[in-house]
Amino acid sequence: MSTTTVNTTAGNTAATVTDTGALTQEQIRHLAEDFLAREAKLLDERRFDEWLTMIDDEIVYEVPIRSARLSFEDEVSGGGYRIRDDKPLLALRVARLDSGQAWAEVAPSRTLRVVGSVIVERGESADVVNVESALLLYRQRGHDELGDVIPVRRQDQLRLTADGPRLLRRTALLTTAILQTPNLGVFV
Amino acid sequence: MHRYQTPSADDTAYIDSVVDRVEESLDDSLLPVDIFNDDRIFAAEMQRIFTKTWVFLGHESEIPNKGDFVMRRIGTDRVILSRDSKGIIRVLNNHCRHRGTEVCHEDRGNTAVFKCPYHGWAYKNDGDWAGAPQMNDAYGEKLDPREWGLLRAPKVESLFGFIFASLSEDVPPLREYLGDAVWAFEAVVNLHPDGMEVLAQPEVFTVKADWKNGAENFAGDAYHVGTTHYSNTLSGFIPGLNNVSVVAHGYDFGNGNSFIGHSIADLIAPQFTMWGYPPEVRDLFDLDRLDDVQREMIENRPPTIGTFFPNFSYLRFPQPANPGEMPIPFTNIRVWQPVAPGVMELWTWEFEYKVAPQAYKDKAYLAGQYGFGSGGVFEQDDTVVWEGIAKAGRSAWAREAGMRLHFRQKRTGPDPEWQGPGKYYPSIYGEYLQEAFYRRWVDAMRSHNQTMKAETKAADLAVREAAVVAAAAAAVEDEGILTEGAQA
Repeated sequence: MSTTTVNTTAGNTAATVTDTGALTQEQIRHLAEDFLAREAKLLDERRFDEWLTMIDDEIVYEVPIRSARLSFEDEVSGGGYRIRDDKPLLALRVARLDSGQAWAEVAPSRTLRVVGSVIVERGESADVVNVESALLLYRQRGHDELGDVIPVRRQDQLRLTADGPRLLRRTALLTTAILQTPNLGVFV
Repeated sequence: MHRYQTPSADDTAYIDSVVDRVEESLDDSLLPVDIFNDDRIFAAEMQRIFTKTWVFLGHESEIPNKGDFVMRRIGTDRVILSRDSKGIIRVLNNHCRHRGTEVCHEDRGNTAVFKCPYHGWAYKNDGDWAGAPQMNDAYGEKLDPREWGLLRAPKVESLFGFIFASLSEDVPPLREYLGDAVWAFEAVVNLHPDGMEVLAQPEVFTVKADWKNGAENFAGDAYHVGTTHYSNTLSGFIPGLNNVSVVAHGYDFGNGNSFIGHSIADLIAPQFTMWGYPPEVRDLFDLDRLDDVQREMIENRPPTIGTFFPNFSYLRFPQPANPGEMPIPFTNIRVWQPVAPGVMELWTWEFEYKVAPQAYKDKAYLAGQYGFGSGGVFEQDDTVVWEGIAKAGRSAWAREAGMRLHFRQKRTGPDPEWQGPGKYYPSIYGEYLQEAFYRRWVDAMRSHNQTMKAETKAADLAVREAAVVAAAAAAVEDEGILTEGAQA
């Protein structure tokens, strides 16, 4: 199996387009799906520095706390989050992982991210695309014989730039109210 | 998942022998590793500790209005923490008295009535039986509301807004139970008359470690920081974590209740007295509420981390909300919730002083969550270092070899000049506080020795039930509320 470099910017003709008005719905969908697939591969291969280049400087990356409620709308109404990072905080997580002493990921997890059920819509401004996806993240931690499944629905915004799409916002809604993997040492 | 079982006579002998072995080991500053993952020890802990002592359930600010409730745990049971329609805080068993079905299925909410989905028995938010469908045909008359109400924890008390409950009536009042620890806790969470409040709902995650490891760690382990959490120095986030334990101190308040203190000003900068609260928060505090020793304590070596036996802990430490910013203190409350042998749920809440500016609360929440909780850059690593202990607890080799853990750090003793309650250890080295936690565990596992025969237990229960029924009958019941509850 090849783990050779994946170019995160090339590979699609729409990459340099910064205005969704110039693109068809099919082109926008292709762009979003390609972004999510490449991101998943980089994270699975723990190429975090390359992953950071796909992140917009103004990102808000959030994992809200979900509760068991009778109404779906109330499930995240508590306002709490497990993670709420901007770019410097995300970069700090990566630096920590690179230290070799972030014990939650020493030995590192082996992961597989399957991304599907992609819904793509034009965003509020011409250079932003709203992308919703479902993620099944399989994580076999270095500490475990058995793996954990981390199911997530992600609401993302991608910003189109001259260098390709960048992740501008991610709200990663975990399916579990009680997290079953012992920590969020992997990006969701 | 763990199945609760009442220990047999053989089990009782085994459990008692383990407890004896723990005490003998502690006399040698050692601890048998098998108590961290053992079916019978776990069952005994549920029975002898978690149904017999005060345990923390939540904060008054989580259920501010009449009818508010949150779901919590006592031992392996899910319980309802409810503020009833009269404003009284109740702790209710979640099982219908008719067939045992769960009556509440939400983590939080507001309701006047909990209705069982099986046959429709309904309960008021104080737990009293309120009605059932086709009552006249099915039952002929209303049932006694308390006799057939949800089981109610007999003891519920609040300390500075922090709610504790006991399933046993045979406990001292909460303040008496916590003893000298109340003096120090007051100096942490009661610096303003309005007190503290939760900033959001708790986060919960399953950790493959025994509940005692978390409680022990927060009871006195400042030593692990330089190794377990050193990645946060290597990443450039927080300098000097390898030297934090040098400025750590110990406060032992007895009965397994103990705090760690840090001379934070020596660690970071001179203005980092009083946890490093910035002026906009510090100036709001009413320090006249404290005595001289409390004031000196929070000025120079504030309590930063602590445990109340069995499974309540807190943490207040300054941390930057964003890289490069000045560190600000956050306050994190946690419960090491046992769910099975060698497995716990970690419940964590972020708190702040109610009177603090909203912008400060938002920053403190961000700082706290970045460090602690399931995504926390500190807590993540705790979750895995404790996992190994649970594996060792199951190890046949460790058991055959009688493996015992080392609690033999150099001891330089308490400060003889200490003016406050309890004991103050200028050096955190010595593992006094961890040893004290396990000695309290030994006492708890002994003082409620389960030698009562089943008949005795049943008779005892009947006597208590009769007393409750008599008390309920003596009270004048409000028919209006009953009807209203039944119809809701």
